[in-house]
Amino acid sequence: MITLKKWAFFIFSLLQIVWLAGCTEKTYESIERDRNFIASLNIQEPSLDFIDENGKVLAKWLFDKAYSGATLIGDDQVLLYGHQLNTMDVYTISTGEKLYSKKVEVGITNVYYDDNIKQFFITNSKTNTVTSFDQEGNELVTQQLGNYPMSMASYKDKLYVVNFKDTKLSVLNMKNLHIEQEWPIQKSSHGIAIVEETHELWIGGHGEGSKPNSSVKKYDLNTGQLHGEIDMPLMPVGLKKTRDAVLVVSHGHNELYVADFDGHIKWQQEVGANPFVVNQFKDYIVVAGYDDHKLYFIKDGQKEKTVDVGKGAFQLLVREEK
Amino acid sequence: MKKIATRIWLLIFAFLIITVVFMYVLTNFLYQRLYVQDTEDTMVEVGLKLQTKYNNGKVTDEFIADIERFNDYSNLNIFAVRNPRELSACVPFDIDYETLIGPEERQKLLAGNYVQKIGYEPRFDRQLISVVIPLVDQNRLEGIIYIYFPLAKISELANSGVILLFISAFIFLVVVSYLIYKGIRHIMRPLNDLQRAVEQMSYGNYETRVPVNSRDEIGKLSSTFNKMAEAIQQEDEAQKTFLATVSHELRTPISYVKGYSEAMQNGIITENQKEETIQLIVREANRMERLTNELLQLARTENEQTEIVVYPIPLGETLREVQKILTHQADKKNITLHLDVDDALIIQADEVKLKQVFINIIENAINYSYENSKVEMVAIEKNGSAQITIKDYGIGIPQEDISHVTERFYRVNKARSRADGGSGLGLSIVEQLLKQLQGRLEIESIIEKGTIVKIILPLMED
Repeated sequence: MITLKKWAFFIFSLLQIVWLAGCTEKTYESIERDRNFIASLNIQEPSLDFIDENGKVLAKWLFDKAYSGATLIGDDQVLLYGHQLNTMDVYTISTGEKLYSKKVEVGITNVYYDDNIKQFFITNSKTNTVTSFDQEGNELVTQQLGNYPMSMASYKDKLYVVNFKDTKLSVLNMKNLHIEQEWPIQKSSHGIAIVEETHELWIGGHGEGSKPNSSVKKYDLNTGQLHGEIDMPLMPVGLKKTRDAVLVVSHGHNELYVADFDGHIKWQQEVGANPFVVNQFKDYIVVAGYDDHKLYFIKDGQKEKTVDVGKGAFQLLVREEK
Repeated sequence: MKKIATRIWLLIFAFLIITVVFMYVLTNFLYQRLYVQDTEDTMVEVGLKLQTKYNNGKVTDEFIADIERFNDYSNLNIFAVRNPRELSACVPFDIDYETLIGPEERQKLLAGNYVQKIGYEPRFDRQLISVVIPLVDQNRLEGIIYIYFPLAKISELANSGVILLFISAFIFLVVVSYLIYKGIRHIMRPLNDLQRAVEQMSYGNYETRVPVNSRDEIGKLSSTFNKMAEAIQQEDEAQKTFLATVSHELRTPISYVKGYSEAMQNGIITENQKEETIQLIVREANRMERLTNELLQLARTENEQTEIVVYPIPLGETLREVQKILTHQADKKNITLHLDVDDALIIQADEVKLKQVFINIIENAINYSYENSKVEMVAIEKNGSAQITIKDYGIGIPQEDISHVTERFYRVNKARSRADGGSGLGLSIVEQLLKQLQGRLEIESIIEKGTIVKIILPLMED
């Protein structure tokens, strides 16, 4: 009699587990914690491709949701958001499982994570705000900004936010999000890099109306004073500061520029089709072609390999040991 | 109530309008199909040829100038674009700018395919047919050749032309509807005449006739109407004559009876004349009785046209009986009755009616025979029917009267009406009865020589 009860309990538990498992979200292919990767977020047919330094595709996450951006939160989490979505989802990379989802206002344009204070910031183009969250996804502070806040960067205790459809850049205190300064900038500015060596902030952009922008502007990091322009045609929008250079891609001319901190172009190369982003991964400069759906791995000024990724490569996320 | 002519006219007019509208739509459709297709083909052809001038890499100023130069000599509008902004290169970004080509078109162009567009272009603020040819190098959309041509709608093609088109369509409609109106009136005229004639008829003008000008349905209807009108008129006249005759025939004996009886009442007639006068009164009364009886009989036979029962009758026997009945009458004029009958003849008839037929005819033969002559009766089988011939040697009937002798009250000798004692109804009754018995009557006569009357009756069927 007792054994029968035990059996019944066992079978019931098994059924419960199967039922609960059926309820959980889709699980994606996992990647070990210690693996370095560069991930390409593709937005035409939303997917996230994880690639190692050999150009090997480690995992391919295909999404049902129209994600338009992704950000690494710490070492093992990736946050996915969409401009038209009212939730953001955080996945654990080492398990491929969803960690949590959070309801948000529709209109997210960008998410920026600061590793020093372990917070992330979300800009919204519908509410024209930036909001800070802790690593667990708890909302902290919200601040009203200019029209269409998008590009973000941080330095020390400051958060720099470019208002895309506005003519100002907002400098905030990262803790309480108080606006400390507003600098005049061009409309449709996008792409931001902080060069602490020269104490400058570099901004790219598309340019307004039919006239495309063809230069990167340098501003003083403290005062916002314009230090100069670097001619980088056409439409430099992808900026990335590395140890010894600033990488810039101009999507209008499919051109990669490598400049020193003074703004002198060391070398340049035509690469990809309509590239929006560039990043450094190990010894490689990696450029994502939005129109040709390829990642270009460049080493010592030479294209070493290309990797096919999903349609519309738009963002590059890099994880490597420090 | 609309006239039928108006209705037909409206119908045809509606069809005309439908035709004109249909032609307009069809022309528009063909214009779209043929003209637009043709223009588009030309544009693609030109575009693809110009595309061969592009030698990969960036689109050069020289190339743009080349295209511009070509544009100067072409009736198409052609230009080259290399501004990535116009080519929707910034698509993932929310840029407030109306680009020359959209994101979907960009995808097509990136694949190396040209794009055809037709419709309103906000950039040019008008309806266009346009073809976009891509300049692609290693998956990079370096530029495009944009070719367009204003899509002139037929209404836009030439404004004066359109007005002319509408005016001529309107005039055409007016002229054709007038002609149709006239035509229908022409066709309908006989019908109107007919309608007026029928109206006249209904007022009692039986002499109304319509002119027959055609041999179509209306023409046939008109001539049939004329025949009908004639028949009605004849019947009307016959009716009038009949009434007049009946009243005349009755009035004569009545005035005799009245005159003599009044004379007797007033004592004008002497005692010895009384006997003769009473005889006269009785004779006239008999005449009246006979007349009314015959009228009654005629009316009855006319009424009972259909319901009559026939049965087999031996013809010889009937004729002998009739002979017997009339022998006395014939003896008065010293006339002998000869009978020659095939006793095998058995006919289908009603005996009473059959006897009446024979009596009437033989009585006539006796009445109009000269004294001391004879009446011959012969019955034979001829062509599957029984034929009874009654021949007298009397005064005969004039040729022009023969066809009328069966009419009611018709007398060959109008003056002799009273003298020969006939009512003028005998042969009418015979004809009616024969019609019932499915027989017929044939009369031949030579004046002053005699008359031959043939009665044809159906034999009993085996």
